[in-house]
Amino acid sequence: MQQNEQLENQPDEQLEKQQKERRDFLGCLGGAIACGAATVVASAASSAAVAATAGGAVPPIPNFDWSKHQWAFGVDAERCIGCLRCVEACKRENNVAPDAHHFRTWVERYVTLEGEEKARIDSQADPANIAASGTDGQYRFANRYKDAKVEKAFFVPKLCNHCTHPACVQVCPTGATYKTEDGAVLIDHTYCIGCQYCVQACPYGARFFNEEKGVTDKCTWCYHRITKGLQPACVEVCPVSARIFGDRNDKQSLISQFIQNHRVQVLRPETGNAPNVFYVGIDKDVS
Amino acid sequence: MPRHIVRLVLIMVGFAVLAYGAKQFFTVDSFYQYGHYRGSSVADIASDKPKYKGTAYCASCHAPQLAEWSNGIHNRPDIGKVVRCEVCHSAGGERDVRGTFEHVSTGPDHPKNLKMVVPKDTRQLCTLCHERMTGRPLQQRQIVVAEHAGTQQCSVCHNPHSPRLNLVSAASTAQAGDAAAGKAKAAACAGCHGAEGVSVNAPGPTLAGQHAAYLHDALKAYIEGTRSDPMMNAGAQGLSDDDAANIAAYYAGVTCVSSLDAAKQATLQDKTTAPKCAACHGADGNSTNPSWPKLIGLSKAYLVNSLKAYKGGARKNGMMAGVVKDMSDADMDNVAAYYANATCK
Amino acid sequence: MDALFHASPFTGYVYPNETVIPWTVLIVVYPYLTGLVAGAFTISSLYQVFGFTQLRPVAHFALLISLCCMLTVPLPLLLHLGQPERAFNAMITPHVTSAFAVFGYAAGFYIILLVLETWFVFRPHIVQQAQQRTGVMRWFYSILSLGSYDLSEKAMSYDRKWLFTLAIIGIPGAHGLHGYVGFVFGSLKSREWWSSDLMPVIFLLSAIISGTAFVIVLYVVSCKLRKVSIDLSCMKVMAYALWGFMMFTLLIEGVEFLSLVYRGREGIEVILEFVTGPLIIPFFILQFGIGSVLPLIVITFLIWRGTSGTALIVGITGSAILVLLAVLMMRYNVVIGGQEISKTAKGLIAYHPPILGREGLLAAGIVLTVPLILLSVLVRLFTPWHDSPRTA
Repeated sequence: MQQNEQLENQPDEQLEKQQKERRDFLGCLGGAIACGAATVVASAASSAAVAATAGGAVPPIPNFDWSKHQWAFGVDAERCIGCLRCVEACKRENNVAPDAHHFRTWVERYVTLEGEEKARIDSQADPANIAASGTDGQYRFANRYKDAKVEKAFFVPKLCNHCTHPACVQVCPTGATYKTEDGAVLIDHTYCIGCQYCVQACPYGARFFNEEKGVTDKCTWCYHRITKGLQPACVEVCPVSARIFGDRNDKQSLISQFIQNHRVQVLRPETGNAPNVFYVGIDKDVS
Repeated sequence: MPRHIVRLVLIMVGFAVLAYGAKQFFTVDSFYQYGHYRGSSVADIASDKPKYKGTAYCASCHAPQLAEWSNGIHNRPDIGKVVRCEVCHSAGGERDVRGTFEHVSTGPDHPKNLKMVVPKDTRQLCTLCHERMTGRPLQQRQIVVAEHAGTQQCSVCHNPHSPRLNLVSAASTAQAGDAAAGKAKAAACAGCHGAEGVSVNAPGPTLAGQHAAYLHDALKAYIEGTRSDPMMNAGAQGLSDDDAANIAAYYAGVTCVSSLDAAKQATLQDKTTAPKCAACHGADGNSTNPSWPKLIGLSKAYLVNSLKAYKGGARKNGMMAGVVKDMSDADMDNVAAYYANATCK
Repeated sequence: MDALFHASPFTGYVYPNETVIPWTVLIVVYPYLTGLVAGAFTISSLYQVFGFTQLRPVAHFALLISLCCMLTVPLPLLLHLGQPERAFNAMITPHVTSAFAVFGYAAGFYIILLVLETWFVFRPHIVQQAQQRTGVMRWFYSILSLGSYDLSEKAMSYDRKWLFTLAIIGIPGAHGLHGYVGFVFGSLKSREWWSSDLMPVIFLLSAIISGTAFVIVLYVVSCKLRKVSIDLSCMKVMAYALWGFMMFTLLIEGVEFLSLVYRGREGIEVILEFVTGPLIIPFFILQFGIGSVLPLIVITFLIWRGTSGTALIVGITGSAILVLLAVLMMRYNVVIGGQEISKTAKGLIAYHPPILGREGLLAAGIVLTVPLILLSVLVRLFTPWHDSPRTA
């Protein structure tokens, strides 16, 4: 079993190494173009610093060691009932602006009508659904297809994919967004300059600009909860277990079982971002 | 080399040194600690306080409600359906029992007060999950609201903590009274309700064999004045809640006697009305839910009067008001005649 | 009361977060300015390095234009940032995989290079002024001269070597800088409209034409203001340069658009819906028709007919103004257009820039006038004119 894991890990590590080398090379190249010696010296110094501290050190979070976890998220779209409790819980838990244009997580509805080839898609930003909830700060899907002839319909929850190779982290000019050892992509709100390059780079539309704070914002998998042994708020309130969260290092965890027992998919694999949110029960129209 | 070139080079070197020095000086201490980011930000982000606390947190103050919920259909981890407290009541951590807020949230829809969120409009709340909607998986219980309950609130029939009908109800948690103590108190009732609670020709309805929970609720309503009847309001005056519970327990324990109504031959002519009643009161009048009264042993006249009182608004009950809304006098006669024949079980 | 954000209506399906456009007109202005820098520097270098002596009347002027635009480039970026006071974080801890972080250093490096080159070019002028002027201005110039009034042949030959080296570094520097702005957009795989290998080339070529056009317009304006005659041979060389680079730009842009449509990858239906709908006027009519094809025809006609005199000047200047508009529209269509096509490839967002506010059209307009104000100051401090009387 262990041997197996090692075998599986090897190509990954090699790939990782190659990509790191590539990144380092690109970095040096960029640096050289940028300002010659000064930057090279600086980046050399910084990589040296990384090398010096990378082994062993863990952030001082009580009762939590990030090197022992590898988080992942599962979405079972076949179970989702579109009640949007996850969306409201997320907004409260994380103080996200209560409107229909800023979401750390949202739910999409895909409806294919008889005789139509493409699905009709809507989410909380749709005027019909804003009207159904009555206010911008509460969320509800309008029952707009109740009299239509529907061939196929389902809901798909969306959130940040916490990619293995996050495009947003790649483009961040300052290092205000980064990937932690345990697999979460976080934003340092005290260091972000608010250029919104990451918002552009994310192919999933998971990032948004927090106008109040002047920084970008997105799902953290409720990092303040998961490091205390809790579930993310959206998972906590999902009444039908359509959202699954856990540690892949624990082979008995719900998420490990979920990935093991289903044929899981990720969104837009062609971007090379390698998402860590795994989907079951989505269709060709979902991207 | 000309002087100006030397000076220029010196300025450039000075600038480079200054820039590099500034870069080193302004680089935050924990930067590069774990990678290209401020290392201390990880612990900063992790130190935020959770607002959603989980059911265990709620249980510390709301054990009875939790007990209702934990045995009900809203807590079925075996089929992956668990509607935890905070799904409907919102984040527990937004209300700190010590009076200080762990998080003062912003925005009009984030409650800041200490009171727990008790959703009043269950038609809005329950339909978030249970309205029949395209795209909702079939295994999810769904209703077409207009056909299911008209304009009724869901909570009239369903206990949101354990919504499936005829299972566990709020009333079941009420304390059982002492039947012996109740018998002594009940002496005063016999005048109208008959000896042993079986009313023959007396003005009051038969009480024998009725659900204790229902009788207790009814007496409480008379004591508090929320249900009015000159005789009963006067008779109930001075009774304590314990007395009420005891009396209820006594009558509930007395043997049920079937109605002595003369019109035994009356049968149900309108088949569409009775099923409405049967959902709660049972097809044979023996309701199994202690919150809703059995219809056994009641006279046709009493039943008709009750229905008319509900329709006219003299008796107030959201569920019954909805049921009788569309009933004609003939319908009421019909139904009353049917249930007046009900036999005890 | 100014709303905190500006949500745009949409058609089809777009991600909810996309309804607030992240990059607005300020980010349109920014590549436009860097383009002017690269283009004006090209004109200056053609004289400095490649010996196009006809360009002598505008060479130093173009250098000042380049400097003024370059000094303004950080302004729209800073205005756009959510936390402008933290802007230096990108310099203190530059993330080398980020196109933006490297841009900070590249731009800084390039500003230094431009300042140095300007200094060497105007050193004789500075030394001369330091010796002639009195009072505050004497102090100003003597500080700038670094206290050395050495204009000997030996010193001047050193200066020429430095100048040549700086110009040689500056050409790839300026063009690299701007090609790099193209990379900022082209390297994003999230948007089909941007994600193209030709993006840096398109940005670079359009930069050169916009810079050349800017120099033409400002040169004509300055001659009118100073009431001196316009050097026709200089105008002609710039018109040739404009014509040549425009040819390339049009071709490459055409090829890019063609390959985008021809490849027909996921989302092409929405892109076609976009270009045949909301983009008809800004893209096909303004950018291609009026802004590119029309001036190309006009200049071709002028060259073919051997027009000279006032007609030539009016023709070239008019074309240059149209080119400036075309390149601005091109930046708009790339930056805003790219964000109007949803990442879902299933919907379109209709962005209408507000007039007022930090991200409004007025702010962008003010930013665009800053280089002109800077220029009007600098031409008074450092006289860049080389009007030769023989072309009167």
